Amino acid sequence: MNTQLSRRDFLKLAGSFAVAPALPTWMPRMAFAPQGVEPLGDIIVVVFQRGGMDGISAVIPHGDSHYYENRSALAIPEPEDGSDKTGIDLDGFFGLHPSLRPLKDLWDEKTLAIVHAVGSPDPTHSHFDAMDYMERGTPGEKSIPTGWIGRHLQTAPWQNESPFRAIGMGGVMQAALRGPIPVTTLKSISDFHLQGDVSQLTEIRARLESLYNLGSSLDADAVETFNAVNILDKIDVNNYTPSGSAAYPETEFGMAMKQVAQIAKAEIGLEVACVDIGGWDTHNQQGQLEGELPTLLDEFSSGLASLYHDLGDRAKRVTIVTMSEFGRRVKENASDGTDHGHGNCMFVLGGGVNGGQVYGQWPGLAPENLFDGIDLNITTDYRDVLGEVVEKRLKNPALSEVFPTYADWKNLGVVRE
Amino acid sequence: MTITRRDFLKMSGMFAAWTALASCAPSELALTPTAPALTALPPLPLDDESLLVHTLRRFTFGPTPAMIEKAKRIGLSAFIEEQLFPESIPDDATDKMMDQFTTLDMTPAERFKLEKKGLPVQELISATILRQRHSERQLFETMVDFWGNHFSIYIAKGGCKVLKTDDDLKAIRPNALGKFRDLLHASAHSPAMLVYLDQATSVGDAPNENYGRELMELHTIGVDSGYTHHDVEEVSRALTGWTVVGARDRKKDFGAYYFNPDIHNNGEKHVLGIMIPSGGEDEGMMILDLLASHPSAAQFISHKLAVRFISDSPSPEVVDSLAQVFTQSDGDTRQFLRALIQSDAFKSSAGQKFKKPLDFFISALRVTDASIKLNQRNGRMLQKHLELLGQVPFTWSPPNGFPDYEEYWSTTSGLLDRWNFGMLLVTNQIRGVEVDLNQLTKDAASAQDVVDVLSLQFLGQLLPDNARSILVDFASSGNLDANIPSIAGLILGSPHFQMR
Repeated sequence: MNTQLSRRDFLKLAGSFAVAPALPTWMPRMAFAPQGVEPLGDIIVVVFQRGGMDGISAVIPHGDSHYYENRSALAIPEPEDGSDKTGIDLDGFFGLHPSLRPLKDLWDEKTLAIVHAVGSPDPTHSHFDAMDYMERGTPGEKSIPTGWIGRHLQTAPWQNESPFRAIGMGGVMQAALRGPIPVTTLKSISDFHLQGDVSQLTEIRARLESLYNLGSSLDADAVETFNAVNILDKIDVNNYTPSGSAAYPETEFGMAMKQVAQIAKAEIGLEVACVDIGGWDTHNQQGQLEGELPTLLDEFSSGLASLYHDLGDRAKRVTIVTMSEFGRRVKENASDGTDHGHGNCMFVLGGGVNGGQVYGQWPGLAPENLFDGIDLNITTDYRDVLGEVVEKRLKNPALSEVFPTYADWKNLGVVRE
Repeated sequence: MTITRRDFLKMSGMFAAWTALASCAPSELALTPTAPALTALPPLPLDDESLLVHTLRRFTFGPTPAMIEKAKRIGLSAFIEEQLFPESIPDDATDKMMDQFTTLDMTPAERFKLEKKGLPVQELISATILRQRHSERQLFETMVDFWGNHFSIYIAKGGCKVLKTDDDLKAIRPNALGKFRDLLHASAHSPAMLVYLDQATSVGDAPNENYGRELMELHTIGVDSGYTHHDVEEVSRALTGWTVVGARDRKKDFGAYYFNPDIHNNGEKHVLGIMIPSGGEDEGMMILDLLASHPSAAQFISHKLAVRFISDSPSPEVVDSLAQVFTQSDGDTRQFLRALIQSDAFKSSAGQKFKKPLDFFISALRVTDASIKLNQRNGRMLQKHLELLGQVPFTWSPPNGFPDYEEYWSTTSGLLDRWNFGMLLVTNQIRGVEVDLNQLTKDAASAQDVVDVLSLQFLGQLLPDNARSILVDFASSGNLDANIPSIAGLILGSPHFQMR
């Protein structure tokens, strides 16, 4: 497929393919794929922790004495069996923050893997540049306008015209999704319908469609909106009960994760969902066992675990990956917070994950091992993690197009083929 | 010998000139000697009605027919000149609306007692919406919005709930059409900002870098200006001691700015290659002056203003020429806006800016001549609608402010929410808000009339023929009167109304 295809071209192309008769509009991959071939990889859910998570508070290197030397107020105590006031040991060296308790079962089941001292190699301490680079998938390079997920969707060896192929939760489009493939943004399924004088709704909708067919820059978004409305009208949202032990937090993030599960279960062509959770910029009074960061970690982990449990058997074909633009300074500041840092940790969760392991080489927190003398070094490029997921789980071999500026691939083995 | 701030101002002026010579591209140098000294706008072409409507769309929250009428009558340049001096424009009706709010004039300590009910936050947001909707000083309100978003503060963070009101009234509003340097100093002394970016709790032995970094990256010189991590550390050291009287301090003026020498990191600092002598609070003052007059700040602010008022991707040429005006006028906002309005880039940019959700929301209220009754409950309901659209003022949590790019806001849910809001508004289904479509269409006899009258009312001009015929066709089917609300909602939902 020509990777220079513009979004407008693509819409035309998709339209010309869309003639496959008698198929529901949301099963379009059947119209693209040869009979009998299973083109689908996993659904990927990408959780972005905006603000810079303190990775060494989330997954503590309790075996590294320099951790405790640098964090007199904020370090999480070494694991002790049966205590909820200490780290939860993982492998004798690393441990989970006690507020990440919901993830421990998944670790034990070997569906959760952690990568540590991982991140984007660009040294910026700017949130906005760091996020930008990470979501483009091209650290240090701003000339490529698309995002890594956008390019994955574009270069996948199948196509799928469902408006729910890629969704951005929260009503905005995450920069990673940028590209020629249309994205549906969503705040709430139950609000996603057209309002107005009920007796005239059909007419109103027809005229709106005409008004958005006159060549404005908004036409493509409007087409997506109408298609999405058609499909969501058929989903019963009010009677949704999560399955398993899922207990989503009653927060924007929790609700977003719950709706991802609903859309995945509705089988309307979902391949990619991006979900944000903000508030990680803990410069001041970050909190050790209680407070700002622990509250966020609790929300984060129960959201992840709930989605996994809610998906039930489907979780075998779902991979959840988390990331944050950078970690935080190894040494805490005098306002009991932490400033912008470098290396961080990522969580990878799903049926195809080689879990129960912390991946990556620990660079150590001794002063001579720190990046620029102050930050956790990065020994694993975050693209090694994502590349492996794209290739092995999403079944897209075109890594050189998804991550065009990266060549130095390392095999981690964090997911299975 | 100690260097006074006055000496330093002279020095930093020299520094600016030096840097301009040393680092600017040849094209900028060529422009350096003479930029037009603008004291008032020269007459702008009066016969060009579309330029007039375009200019008003950019410098108001939606031009009402009365404003367009007035601009035609006195001339566009005279209209803009008047708007540039808002105190000359009577605005009693809007001022009177502020009387219903009790917390705007309170001290932070008084507001603090009401904080649990959320009253100070809700009142500031409601007051902002009402001013943008009703004020005759529309250009001023667009600049208050711009600078408030440039020096963005997340109102839900801790003490900001009671302090942001003062930031709005005492830092942003008094300086919105003044000198950038004064605005920067006001913001840096604003307790809400110091709390929001953790400066208030930064202490000397291990300074917190949050404010120091964003001061350079977001408020002044921009991330691409070449400062280093060392510069961030030095600025953060210099600013230790810039703090706010806290609840635990048991002092009278709770919530006020003060400099606390006990937590200041003493010693000289080096910022952007300039030595800042040890001098307590003066160190920070010098750094603010240095940043305000830095050539990169001229570029950065000019680019941002051009993005707001010209297009999402203004040409480097127009940004360069505006940066010249910025530098030569010592960051004078009025001079800057005069130059911007006269630029060819501005004149040829009609319809190129996608309305941010707040632009859409306020403009819909203005052009429908909606009356708003804001008791507490209605205020909350109205904010819910704005929240769904995506932009309640002061609620963007990262420090970079709400984005101003079409790509960011033109999403599926974004469009749907706008279509729905337009329909709810014109069918009077928004609590506390009333639109009188009968009044607006009282002189319209035919389907064509209805479409044209409402287009003129909402857009300031007729719809192009292709869009017009779609609506005329709809209006002609069935009972015209029954179709009027849907026609009105469709115009508010049309692609034409999404642009400014």
